[in-house]
Amino acid sequence: MATDHALAHPPGAVPQKKPISQGVLAMLLFIGSEAMLFASFFTAYFMVRYNVAENHWPPLNQNGEPFELPKVGTGVSTAFLVFSSFTVWWAEHRLKHNDRKGLERGLLVTILLGITFLVAQINEYAHLGFTPADKAFGSTFYTLTGFHGLHVLVGLILLTICYVRVKRARDFTPTFSTPLVMASIYWHFVDVVWVALYILVYLV
Amino acid sequence: MTTHQPTHAHPGHAHHGAAKSTWDYWKRAIVWTVGGVAAGFAIVFLARWIFDFENLWVPQVYWSVCASLAGLGFIIGIGCFDWWWAYMRGKQVDLEDHSMHGAQKWSDYFRPNTDHKVIGIQYLVTTFFFFVVAGILAELVRLELAVPGATIADGETYNGFFSAHATIMIFAFVIPVFGGISNYVLPIMLGAKDMAFPRLNALSFWLLVPAGVMLVLAPFVGSFSSGWTAYAPLSVQGTTGSTLFEVAVQFAGASSIATALNFLVTIMTMRAPGMTVWRMPMLAWAQGVTSGLVVFGTPFIAGSQFMTWFDRVMGTNFFNVGGGGDVLMYQHVFWFYSHPAVYIMMIPGFGIISEVVAAFSRKPLFGYRAMAFSTVAIALLGFGVWAHHMFVSGMPAWLRFPMMFMTVVIAVPTGVKVFSWLGTMWGGRLHLKTPMLWAMGFVFTFLIGGLSGVFLGVLPAVIHLTDTYYVVAHIHYVFFGGSVFTVFAGVYYWFPKITGRMYNERLGQIHFWLTFVGFNATFFPMHWLGAVGMPRRVADYDERFASLNLFISLATSGMVIGSLIFFYNMIHSWAKGPQAPWNPWRARSLEWLVSSPPSLFNFDAVPQVVGGPYQYGIPGARHAVVFAGEELGGGELVEHERRTILVIANESVSSAALLEHIRERANGHWRFTMLVPVEDGNVRAAERRLQQALSVLAAEGVDANGSVVSGDPLSAVRAAVADDEPTEVMLVTEPLGQSRWLNQDMVDRVRKATNLPVNHVVISAAEAGRPAVSKAVNTVAVIANDGLSGDGVINAVQGHADGGPVAAVILCPLSLDGPGWTDDAETVRDAAAGRARDAIARLQQAGIPARGEVIDGDPAEAARIARDSYRATTILVASVAGRGDADVVETVTQAAAPVPVEHVFVETAPPAL
Ligand code: HEM
Ligand SMILES: [Cu+2]
Repeated sequence: MATDHALAHPPGAVPQKKPISQGVLAMLLFIGSEAMLFASFFTAYFMVRYNVAENHWPPLNQNGEPFELPKVGTGVSTAFLVFSSFTVWWAEHRLKHNDRKGLERGLLVTILLGITFLVAQINEYAHLGFTPADKAFGSTFYTLTGFHGLHVLVGLILLTICYVRVKRARDFTPTFSTPLVMASIYWHFVDVVWVALYILVYLV
Repeated sequence: MTTHQPTHAHPGHAHHGAAKSTWDYWKRAIVWTVGGVAAGFAIVFLARWIFDFENLWVPQVYWSVCASLAGLGFIIGIGCFDWWWAYMRGKQVDLEDHSMHGAQKWSDYFRPNTDHKVIGIQYLVTTFFFFVVAGILAELVRLELAVPGATIADGETYNGFFSAHATIMIFAFVIPVFGGISNYVLPIMLGAKDMAFPRLNALSFWLLVPAGVMLVLAPFVGSFSSGWTAYAPLSVQGTTGSTLFEVAVQFAGASSIATALNFLVTIMTMRAPGMTVWRMPMLAWAQGVTSGLVVFGTPFIAGSQFMTWFDRVMGTNFFNVGGGGDVLMYQHVFWFYSHPAVYIMMIPGFGIISEVVAAFSRKPLFGYRAMAFSTVAIALLGFGVWAHHMFVSGMPAWLRFPMMFMTVVIAVPTGVKVFSWLGTMWGGRLHLKTPMLWAMGFVFTFLIGGLSGVFLGVLPAVIHLTDTYYVVAHIHYVFFGGSVFTVFAGVYYWFPKITGRMYNERLGQIHFWLTFVGFNATFFPMHWLGAVGMPRRVADYDERFASLNLFISLATSGMVIGSLIFFYNMIHSWAKGPQAPWNPWRARSLEWLVSSPPSLFNFDAVPQVVGGPYQYGIPGARHAVVFAGEELGGGELVEHERRTILVIANESVSSAALLEHIRERANGHWRFTMLVPVEDGNVRAAERRLQQALSVLAAEGVDANGSVVSGDPLSAVRAAVADDEPTEVMLVTEPLGQSRWLNQDMVDRVRKATNLPVNHVVISAAEAGRPAVSKAVNTVAVIANDGLSGDGVINAVQGHADGGPVAAVILCPLSLDGPGWTDDAETVRDAAAGRARDAIARLQQAGIPARGEVIDGDPAEAARIARDSYRATTILVASVAGRGDADVVETVTQAAAPVPVEHVFVETAPPAL
């Protein structure tokens, strides 16, 4: 096959250096793209906040009171999500030591933490007392957090696929684990976006 | 030559053994699409019911969800996720699964396929379909604008026309068509066997299908008025048409992002050994940079469309000032993608033009590195000029100057490119083949478009010109005269590689000139209209613009007719065109060093890149070494780049004697450049003979190309030697005494002029007339008697010859009543033979090999002979107009079956005997 010939190249052939795995490269680029999607919504958020509301933020709702966001409760779920970044890192680390049980446990804990975050988010929506149609404040808030929630869901699906592959197909070895690496990078990204979002939307 | 067959054995991999038929995929796709619509309804209904909304029926919510799920259902049903689905469930799957790879029959093009070459063709055909749809819409726009007042459409319908025209052209044609071209050629150019992610590649294509269909449906379901820019608040007020547009843009965007990721990873990781970034063909640079723009820009249009969509269906307040929203924000977000998007639509074209211009100027690309850097610079600067579309929108005034400044700065790298193409052409030996005509036409029109852009970029002018027809002129000079011209250049350039057949050069040139003239006549006057104040996007206009508008509407017919010719040429040549050699343009990049079309995995072995791709005319320079497959060299690496023999011949170029000689010489190692110098003779005839010769050689697997040149052999040789670096010259003449070239002592003079060994081949006039027998040459039998005398028969045969190489057989049936040996009969027979001889001579003069005989028997007998002895593929029955020969045609048709029979009426009366 093709690669056999590569070995038999005439003298002077440039040897191919071992490149970064294609999957990981694609995932990094894709994350760049995803970051831009969030950037577009953040653009909307900042324009509404600084141009239109002229930093009277949060604005007043229908009843003439300022919108309120649950800083503390969400802070706790933020901690969950941040912690899950470490658990997925730990899972990968266990694989390096060929500890498959550890890998399984690490993935499972990460997935459970992610689910906890999502449930908390839905619970928050149910108790906020305003809807996406309540002023541009509600629109930007729900769009940003909603899109983030969708990304958490996608990340969970990726991690679950990895978990299934580990359990059922006995996939991944210390030397080859590209799909797992892709899923975990994505998960870190989802985390980072949330931290930025929490700071920019909830705190400041 | 081992072409067309898979050249690898992949033990353990199933090879295109897709057990399902194409129809099975489509059945499932239909079920899933309909299921998607049903699920959409159910989900929205249940959600609104459970959560107790006051209003259960809000149509746009239903349409949004239904359209999204229908599109998703379609791509799942058609089978894009089959492999992943198995993977997700933890099945043991083959990471290198080739079961969906390659097309063996035409129906394989209609199912998900992982072969980048198949996907390239799928993209090209689909996007050209959308080009036709959008073109028809453009004609409707021009019809409405032909005269003042409402004619065929009211304002609302007219808005639908131009909105759909622009959106389909941009999102379903120009952006993805480059994906098609690059999908086909880029992996081969890089020396890779496929794209990095073949399954993702298939998904990208199939995402485009629902997007295109929704865009086409949008104007029919109403209220799609806000143009391709879909500005809020108009788009927020729209209804179903706008909803479909917004959903379609998400699908198209996902498709472009997926392809772009694929291109980027392919370019970064799959280049052949030795291909440093500075040895990449310009198209690879262009496509890489474009992909970067897509990956980082497209999310912004996705964001903008999500927001308008939410505003409309969920009542959010992004653009509703009353709700604290910011209506101008739409334009910022939209243009932050869409200005880079104009480069997404242009930069791949820049790459194509660089390939074409270098190959047809036979000179290295002027300023390769400047070209590469300017591409990157345009892309980076492109993110900093978005608000030049918003000068009069009421945006903060301080933004104006920086945007104007950056816009003018962007013209600099653009200028670098134009000068680089001109520099490449300067002093080159231009070969004005169709792709080159498009490239030169492009440089001309794009220059105008770039200049009008600068006017639009500077404040004093743009405040007057914005929202007028001047902008329409600008965008068409850059989109049509820019992007679409490059698409045509690329399609003609790679047509032989993609289809394995040659297009018809003459029709290609007619297509170019009709389009070029029609294009300028249509769009140039728009500059004027805009400058004197005709607004864009309005169905009616002031009386004083009437005459120019009528002129413009009429002038579009040039492009319409040109396009019809283009499609005829493409379809006909694909089906019946002469076989193409591996490298008809003698270009250097890797795709030309493999067969046409390339084998299943492109290369028999990984090629080795040793130099730049554009080293034309530099002695000894080469781009790459390609190795032969195991079955050719038994594992030994055989250099595949063969040396060239220059063949100079005249009338004898298509003779059996010469072609046989060349075939023997070729021996798998040599390639041939055939030159037919025409000093004062019939150029068309020489072209036909050359085409005949090239087709026969291609069918035999000999790599040959050539051209008809005017002038004497000597000057032709001089030019060709510099072009092709031949190692030997083969001069073909008639025997001493009959040959004019020999009288001029040509052998010696050629030897002196070239310093190359000259192989002198002598072919007598009699031998020169003996045509080569080959499956590449169709035999047209002419059954005629009196009908031979006019021009009718000759013209009919020439018509066939224009479609592909033919040899003619003239059969003159004579069924004499009574004994055949009387003096009378002799005279009649002589006269008939004379007519046949005359027709044969005239056909040969026209460059068509011909022979013939007088047959004792009726036309039916002649038809049988034509079919059985001459293996004719077509039979022409000629009769003199006015004589009732219907029954003759009837009997001939029956006798000749299954060979098709055509009837030719000849106008001229036969000369009196
Ligand atoms: C030197 C290069 C260019 C400059 C300086 C330039 C400048 C401009 C400016 C200032 C406008 C805004 C006009 C207005 O609406 O008032 C404009 C519009 C436009 N340009 Fe260019 N342009 C350049 C090249 C291109 C290229 C290469 C393309 C696409 C292939 C392109 C596509 C467009 C389109 C589609 C519009 C109209 C958008 C709309 O309102 O629908 N331009 N250009
Ligand atoms: Cu622009």
